[in-house]
Amino acid sequence: MPFKLFEVDKEIPDREKHIYVKDEADPVEHIPKCNSKTIPGCMTERGCAFAGVKGVITGAVKDVVHVVHSPVGCTTYGCGSKRYPTSPDLPNGGKFPVENFNLKYIMGTDLKESDVVFGGMKKLRQSILEAAKEFPYVNAIYTYATCTTGLIGDDMEAVAKELSEETGKDIVTFNAPGFSGPTQSKGHHVGNLTLFNKLVGTKEPPETTPYDINLIGEYNIDGDLWVIKPYFEEMGINILSTFTGDCSHDEICWMHRAKLSLVRCQRSATYIAKLIEEKYGVPYIKVDFFGPKYCAENLRAVGKYFGKEAEAEKVIESRMKKIQAELEFYREKLEGKTVWVFSGGPKNWHIPQPLEEHLGMKTVAVSTMFEHEDGYEKIKERVGEGTVIIDDPNSLELEEIIEDYKPDIILSGIKEKYIAHKMGTPCMLIHSYENGPYMGFEGFINLARDIYASIYSPVWNMLEFDEMGEE
Amino acid sequence: MQDNMIKTENLCILDKKFAVINPCKMCQPMGAVQALLGVKGAMPIIHGSQGCSTYMRFQLCRHFREPINVSSTSMSEGTVVYGGEGNLLKALSTIWKEYNPEIIGVTSSCLTETIGDDMALIIKKFKNSHPDEDLPPIVPINTPSYSGSHVDGYDKAVKSLVENLAHPEGKNKKINIIPGMISSGDVAEIKNMLDELNVGSIFLTDNSESLNAPLNDDVAFLPDEGAEVEEIRDSANSIATISLSKHADSAAMFLQKKYGIKSISGPLPVGIRNTDQFIGYITKITGTKIPKSIEKDRGIMIDAIVDAHPYNYDREVAIYGDPDVVTGMARFICELGMIPSVVCTGTQSSRFVQDMENIAEENDFSPVILAGRDLYDLHQQIKCMDLELLIGNSYGARIAKSEDIPLLRMGFPVYDRLGAQRISILGYKAGIRMVDIITNTILENYYDESGHEFTNFNEISC
Repeated sequence: MPFKLFEVDKEIPDREKHIYVKDEADPVEHIPKCNSKTIPGCMTERGCAFAGVKGVITGAVKDVVHVVHSPVGCTTYGCGSKRYPTSPDLPNGGKFPVENFNLKYIMGTDLKESDVVFGGMKKLRQSILEAAKEFPYVNAIYTYATCTTGLIGDDMEAVAKELSEETGKDIVTFNAPGFSGPTQSKGHHVGNLTLFNKLVGTKEPPETTPYDINLIGEYNIDGDLWVIKPYFEEMGINILSTFTGDCSHDEICWMHRAKLSLVRCQRSATYIAKLIEEKYGVPYIKVDFFGPKYCAENLRAVGKYFGKEAEAEKVIESRMKKIQAELEFYREKLEGKTVWVFSGGPKNWHIPQPLEEHLGMKTVAVSTMFEHEDGYEKIKERVGEGTVIIDDPNSLELEEIIEDYKPDIILSGIKEKYIAHKMGTPCMLIHSYENGPYMGFEGFINLARDIYASIYSPVWNMLEFDEMGEE
Repeated sequence: MQDNMIKTENLCILDKKFAVINPCKMCQPMGAVQALLGVKGAMPIIHGSQGCSTYMRFQLCRHFREPINVSSTSMSEGTVVYGGEGNLLKALSTIWKEYNPEIIGVTSSCLTETIGDDMALIIKKFKNSHPDEDLPPIVPINTPSYSGSHVDGYDKAVKSLVENLAHPEGKNKKINIIPGMISSGDVAEIKNMLDELNVGSIFLTDNSESLNAPLNDDVAFLPDEGAEVEEIRDSANSIATISLSKHADSAAMFLQKKYGIKSISGPLPVGIRNTDQFIGYITKITGTKIPKSIEKDRGIMIDAIVDAHPYNYDREVAIYGDPDVVTGMARFICELGMIPSVVCTGTQSSRFVQDMENIAEENDFSPVILAGRDLYDLHQQIKCMDLELLIGNSYGARIAKSEDIPLLRMGFPVYDRLGAQRISILGYKAGIRMVDIITNTILENYYDESGHEFTNFNEISC
């Protein structure tokens, strides 16, 4: 009985296909139904395609200004919401004048009723020109279609083309209105295709080395990238382009010049790695970089590819030495604790094994908002027997998972966090972190520290009224 | 934004005319959802793509740090072409069966307004297809995101609730209170004052407990406190309606027109004068006497202001956010002897401009009034002035940091501090705390550890 209908889903029996309990005896193709339309009214945690492209893919680029072609809401909500820090360093050795520019500014066309009736092209044109005027130092302008502009059919491409010449800046249009696709995943795809088609191959890097790599699907959440970057530097490997954590616009343009691509978030960015391989013959390998074991495996694979095995071993050894004592401390504290991982996608298969192998924790439930079949296959392979795997859980299912599987900790997003807390279950953020970074060897210690601190917070012992005065 | 209203004295050059940079407003459904979260057992649905409800839940969660459920009709390519009727019908059915709400509020979005879905008609169809069932009230709220702002969305939601539910039946001797988008703490302050005055009330709506809930091992998926559907029905039988926020008075106007219930619009009871006015209305309408406890609170607040004055007077302040909070705070800031030199709201409102001009005239100063502008304009303006305090939401924290001016956080959203829903500014009690907080912020930033103002003695000429 691999699929499971939750008690709360009696009225929406279609949910049964989305919830699978791992059983080794089942055929491989038994995975949750996924990447399909949400049941209306189901209280999904999913977002929209615009959020997928701006929030995930392009929001991390440091030197572009974003012009959201929309009524005001999408612009406000799209402002600096994901924790993607950037440094001012540019590949040509220069400095971008505003630190964390990508988190500080967002522009929009602020469409009004008359624009909806008569079209928003004029407003878009004016806004792009103002973007170029107010932020003359940006290296490109990215514009986004949204639900309204997708419907009224504004020819954003034409405006972008015309103004690219006029302003002398790349103007890139992303056509992922909110209603397209079943989840934000559609926006990731559009983002990949757009950046590949319009930018990759259009510029040459200032210099190349035989050890240039693309680090794809790494967005520098709370500094994740900055933890693993030194590993490569110490190995003599040069990150030519990051897609897109702390990256500059130009880096995307010369991704074709790398010798190898590494793909970390394989849900949101395998597309571009494949396209670059097909067109330019740059091979790619899939990496995790969460937890010491995967980190070591990934570094060894890169070392092997470039004939730098010894350098890889040196990095691994130095980092293991650095974290060993702390790792042992946290393992002692966390052994046997249970966890539920609810991520957008990949952290469902990045996290469970490191938690088990290094900390002795048991993953009792995993769930994603927007994984596809290939992701669920990986998840199924990597979680233990009896783990429940849920596609797009709704709010009531969250409660049932907590009650039935009783996780000691939940790793999820902010919308779930306060539901879990009200039920007395600690929950920490795994999409954007509160106290990251969590990637790499050192990042894993941060993750372990936060899990430990959340579970062992003194507050959980005070939920019951303590009648001190009673004799 | 061609027709922005800007008072020109002291104005910097703001030549950005078309684009919005870092908006100082949100879209209509956000306001409507906030009103619905103050109704007991209410489930808000946004008829649009699922990003709308997810983005708003994200904003609301990080502000209130509470579970927030807002449903979506999850519109997609196919349904956009053929209309959203099927999605809305399915969503209503799912919500009704799964969550058993006491009331469902359906807001539209830019998407469904653009394709022209008739929500009232679709809701009627849903009801007709369940003739024998005991359905909860389902209220349509038209909130096209391409007009107005979240402030209008809140106003429309309360109006729709009243239009659809209010039912005349006898008299109830209560006063309807429409809070507007204020914190749970502020709604609680007003409720406490009315208790002290011994006046019965109906709050339209009431987030005082639904968005500031205890942790007790139990999670409420729908607000388990708040205005009850029965109370909203009973609002047609009250003595009067006071809209604390002027920009949220459409429901009050409706009740006045249809049922002859007196409507009073604002001002938001922030500071001494505005609170006096509020208490004055209540005593006039009900004939109740001002109790000693309230007189005492007022006296303590006056005492605090007197104590604070040497530190605060003549210091220039910028205030930004929702129009009623900005004008309320501006008047209060003047009472402290300070000068609200720049005020900014994202909402275009002639009422806001008029109120600010009145406050300016009353206090003899000329502020820069930015109405229908954004935080980028505010920042440009602040750069060419010499301000000592900012008051507003977390979106202004970047301005505060880059200009090295302390920021007093209030309004929505406040996501970089704890306790956003407990920040209270209304009435005398909260006012006393606010005088302390404002003054201590000034002391912290401009005075030394022995309580003396930092002075550059080299600059003093004899």
